[in-house]
Amino acid sequence: MIGFIIRRLLASIPTLLAVLTLVFLLVRVVPGDPAIAILGDRATPETLAALRAELGLDRWIGAQYFEFLGHALRGDLGTSMVTHRAVWTEIAEALPHTIVLTLAAMAIGCLIGIPAGVWAALHRNGPIDVLTRLLSLLGLSFPVFVSGIFLLIVFALQLHLFPVIGNPRPGDWIDGLHKLVLPALTLGIVMAAYVVRVTRSSMLQVLGEDYIRTARAKGVPRRSIIWRHGLSNALIPVVTVVGLYVGILIGNSVLTEIVFNRPGLGKVIVSALTQRDYTMLQGMMVIYCFLIVVVNLITDISYGLIDPRVKQ
Amino acid sequence: MTLRITLSTALAAATLIATPAAAAPKTDLRVGMAAQDVGQLDPHRAVSTIDRTVVAWIYNGLVRFKPGTMDPAQIEPDLAEKWESSPDKLDWTFHLRKGVKFHGDFGELTADDVVFSLKRASDAKTSAFSADFAAFKTIEATDPATVHIVLARQVPSLLGLLTNYSGGYIVSRKAVEKHGADFTRNPVGTGPFAFVSDTPNQSLELAAFGGYFRGKPKLEHVSYRYIPSDSSRDLAFQNGEIDLVYGKQDQAWINRIRALPNSVVDVFEPGELANLNLNIMAKPLDDLRVRQAIAYAVNRPELVKWQGADTARPGQSVIPAGYLGSVKDVGLVNTDIAKAKALLKEAGYPDGVTIKIIHTQLPQMLGSMQVVQAQLRKAGINLDIQVVDHATFHQQIRKDLSPIVYYAAARFPVADIYLTQFFHSASIVGKPTAVTNFSHCDVADKEIDAAKTETDIEKQVSLWADAQKKIVAAVCAVPLAEALQIWAHRTDLDYGYELKASLSLGPLLTEATQFK
Repeated sequence: MIGFIIRRLLASIPTLLAVLTLVFLLVRVVPGDPAIAILGDRATPETLAALRAELGLDRWIGAQYFEFLGHALRGDLGTSMVTHRAVWTEIAEALPHTIVLTLAAMAIGCLIGIPAGVWAALHRNGPIDVLTRLLSLLGLSFPVFVSGIFLLIVFALQLHLFPVIGNPRPGDWIDGLHKLVLPALTLGIVMAAYVVRVTRSSMLQVLGEDYIRTARAKGVPRRSIIWRHGLSNALIPVVTVVGLYVGILIGNSVLTEIVFNRPGLGKVIVSALTQRDYTMLQGMMVIYCFLIVVVNLITDISYGLIDPRVKQ
Repeated sequence: MTLRITLSTALAAATLIATPAAAAPKTDLRVGMAAQDVGQLDPHRAVSTIDRTVVAWIYNGLVRFKPGTMDPAQIEPDLAEKWESSPDKLDWTFHLRKGVKFHGDFGELTADDVVFSLKRASDAKTSAFSADFAAFKTIEATDPATVHIVLARQVPSLLGLLTNYSGGYIVSRKAVEKHGADFTRNPVGTGPFAFVSDTPNQSLELAAFGGYFRGKPKLEHVSYRYIPSDSSRDLAFQNGEIDLVYGKQDQAWINRIRALPNSVVDVFEPGELANLNLNIMAKPLDDLRVRQAIAYAVNRPELVKWQGADTARPGQSVIPAGYLGSVKDVGLVNTDIAKAKALLKEAGYPDGVTIKIIHTQLPQMLGSMQVVQAQLRKAGINLDIQVVDHATFHQQIRKDLSPIVYYAAARFPVADIYLTQFFHSASIVGKPTAVTNFSHCDVADKEIDAAKTETDIEKQVSLWADAQKKIVAAVCAVPLAEALQIWAHRTDLDYGYELKASLSLGPLLTEATQFK
């Protein structure tokens, strides 16, 4: 297993290098001038040129690239062009919030999605199955900025159970958990809708396999057939979807963080994009890509844990 | 019996605890701003509404607009307690108020800080407003409490440049030198509220400055929260989580917030005038008849109706109404589609004309532009709008990539600034001295220049009027509508003055601002 992880980590180095290059080029291909974004419409060309020089944007693009690459490989992502704060500092402040939100949403998605999917498969075409599929369709149909606002209206405005502004007080984990509920639910519902569908179809396929029929014929208890023989084999496609969906969750967290006004990478990246903060954008995109690489690695490792055949 | 007595005593005690003697008024103000983050807290680079609103709470100028106004006639002492000028208005001497302290441990304000600040504001390397100070010849401290300014030529409103607005803010020299580039996140001023902390993409925290020269503010703490989602911001205000909120220039929003209990909608000056700037050098707009056809096709009352009667008013000239030098009768034409079509035909476009333009995706500006697009279509003028994000829009219009530029702005309320920045040939985009002249207009240079140095106010106003008439006659721009500033606050918040105008585009918080 350790060898497998090392091989995967080594394989991700070229990916990250390609990402660094692509990110550098992408942020510069996007039209928009950081100097105009910072200084506004009354700045003269002389003032704008002075700021571009201060930010190092007047230099040859190759020189900018190699400097960025050199610093990035040494782990230095630079400082924000707008706030002058170290990119790593902002990442360190925002990343835990995004990770917590993603994990909480993933937990909700799996805790609702997997049992509901199994349940629907066991009652194929019955009322429970139809209801589960209908709810899943509803979950998939609502974008997070709609479901998020809906949850805010019901639980914050009408029932007064949660606040609208979701930035937790630093160091107060109870407040943090309280303010995590609605955003995590918003993201988790959509994920559950995906997971329930995959679990149901995977489970149906497995339950129709010969070895399940044999187990039934041998008198293996139903509970054991479903959970031990059925679900453990049906989980591989579910893990794939969960792994892929974590990437989507991280992406969707951008909207969720904005709707609930939570800190996180999403808010930082949108802010950086609005202000054409090249260094911050580069740093954020590198971190996003790194997270996706890590999630894929964890997914691959999970395959091995669930199905020993994969390790071989 | 004993049990009954004990229970009654406990109940009485509980009642006493539960009943506050007299509810103390709140002292923490929570402000909800439409922003991802604050940009620049260095006042000489603070250009967005987000930055300018909060910078006005931290800094002072030598003089200031009376809170709640933007009338140059009501400029009053701020850091300077008095001033005098030579008869030719080229020599100015400002006497500083004594005992003014900077926030933190940056000591007392001296003339050296003022000289440093004004030189900094006039330096292109450190200021976005350097062009405003082009006429400054020397700025000197003659003693620790006196500043002497010599101008190379007269300017229409020197006091205007030195107000609590744009480049007029005074910073602490020691703080700037200590923090260097990080000063933008460590602002030090003399205003009623001092910077405490900044959480990126979340909020900015300010505290009452106990040493404020007008007395300690009644509010103790201000939390300036960035809430980019319009819906979330409104819900937070509705839910009582914020006390003061940035609004939308939209009648439906105003009506909705007005209907909420304990809410007051603030509608105040300055109006941001939206002009349709027509590039007189680009085809087919280089033909006056095509530009006139656009002017005849635009329907201002309809635009105002779309934006809302409470927030918008029709543009009356190419500069906003109420500015010193702004006049009404500048020769604007009323809507006449038949006349527009006839002009187009005369110009060689009997079947209409299509013009490709670039426009921002900001919802309010895009909506207005789409109304204009529909109006022009009736006359056979088809606007092919390429919608881009706001930063891209700003970059591309400065490269002359859009022959028609919809641009809404408010400036210091003296005609000279608006006319110079939008219609003087020196400000044409692409030139080294460019500002925001997107129309390449140069028809009124003579009048604009003459008015700058005219000492007779009547003649000066007359020159500005002539300039506006010439610009309108040449159809360098078609005025559309002026949108006023919209905020809302809870009824228990008292600004401490009547809010009629604010050049920082947000309500000014003063030492008198409090919860009732």
